[in-house]
Amino acid sequence: MANLKDIQRKIKSVSSTQKTTRAMKLVSTAKLRRAEDLAKRSRLYAEKMNQVLAEIAGRIECSKIGGLDDNRFFAPEENPKMIDIIFVTADKGLCGGFNIQTIKATKNLIAKYQEKKVKIRLRGVGKKGIEYFKYNEVELYDEVVGLSSKPDKAKSDEFIQASIEDFKLGKTDAVYIVYNGYKNMITQELHVNKILPIDASDYDCDQTKQKSTLEIEAQDEEHMLNSLVETYAKYNMYYTLIDSVAAEHSARMQAMDTATNNAKEMVKALNVQYNKARQAAITTELIEIISGVESMK
Amino acid sequence: MDTFTLEILTPNGQIFSGKVRSVTLPGEEGEFGVLANHASLTTLLTSGVIDIEKEDKKVESVLINWGVVQVDEEKVVVLAEGAVAIRGESESEISKALEEAKQLLNDIADSGTAIAAASAKIETAAKSLL
Repeated sequence: MANLKDIQRKIKSVSSTQKTTRAMKLVSTAKLRRAEDLAKRSRLYAEKMNQVLAEIAGRIECSKIGGLDDNRFFAPEENPKMIDIIFVTADKGLCGGFNIQTIKATKNLIAKYQEKKVKIRLRGVGKKGIEYFKYNEVELYDEVVGLSSKPDKAKSDEFIQASIEDFKLGKTDAVYIVYNGYKNMITQELHVNKILPIDASDYDCDQTKQKSTLEIEAQDEEHMLNSLVETYAKYNMYYTLIDSVAAEHSARMQAMDTATNNAKEMVKALNVQYNKARQAAITTELIEIISGVESMK
Repeated sequence: MDTFTLEILTPNGQIFSGKVRSVTLPGEEGEFGVLANHASLTTLLTSGVIDIEKEDKKVESVLINWGVVQVDEEKVVVLAEGAVAIRGESESEISKALEEAKQLLNDIADSGTAIAAASAKIETAAKSLL
């Protein structure tokens, strides 16, 4: 039979854990609201940006012989030699399967390309993912800590700029971002996004020709496209970070909610055990007294 | 006079959305104005001030640092990287917006003349509101 004091100590410890997890849940809920708001507001911008980019790309593709084939940003990757994989994880744990999902997806992507004998440069954002790959002795080309918990446009631009430059110079043939994004309060969605090159093949040429368009010099469009592509890639990186923060908080909120409930159940079970043990002790004492009295007779 | 819809979006949210009579934009090749039923056009914008003439003929100014504009026959969408609207109900709000705008201008590491022109423009815009 378990000692009464032991059980009491256990109850105390579990209920203080429960307090911590509940507090963490509340903090995550508050943070999630803010992160969600930010993500929602910039989603509009993201949609419009993709639209504008697709339209210009489509216009060049349709109006010129050869189209976009000579533009590196839009050429589909054939026999890539070197690719950039950027993964975004959280800086902190205690958020369920949030980080490990991203890590697994990253590993799958790496394996897929390694099979084709493609060289991979792994660039990491977020402490948890970096720690994992370091522990498993996978070489990281670049790493940033602190960016995934506090997205900052300037820092994220700087980070992705290196990838854009290398892509422009032909050092890399594709840039992927792997991250866990926010879907709703209880679900996260894993994304493996190809940022560069951009896929513009499904653009409908006939539709453009019907619209009235003010023609500016053709050079202008190419120039515009190049500066747009950079903004697009940078913005995608930033949006990834925002989305990832929202997802992290929702994952943590959920994990902490489950932990709180588990702790609650455990306290309940321990209380029953404590009562049983206490009753057993009382019964033993009673038996002792009674048998003592009996023997005195 | 005809009106059309204008939207100004930044990564941090919508700055302006509504019916307007005309809008003047700082295009990369020079300033240009857009009225309703303008032919479709997509072009780059540089750092500068967007002047909006609203339905009630009031003028509003928005400072941007870089952007793209998509002009359609009945709609104009501006995608800006950073934007500050010069507006406010009280004097303090306006001066706060002005401060933010100046901050944005300082962040643009660009040549001086465009910035000087933009800065003069937002100052006058703010004064006209007071």
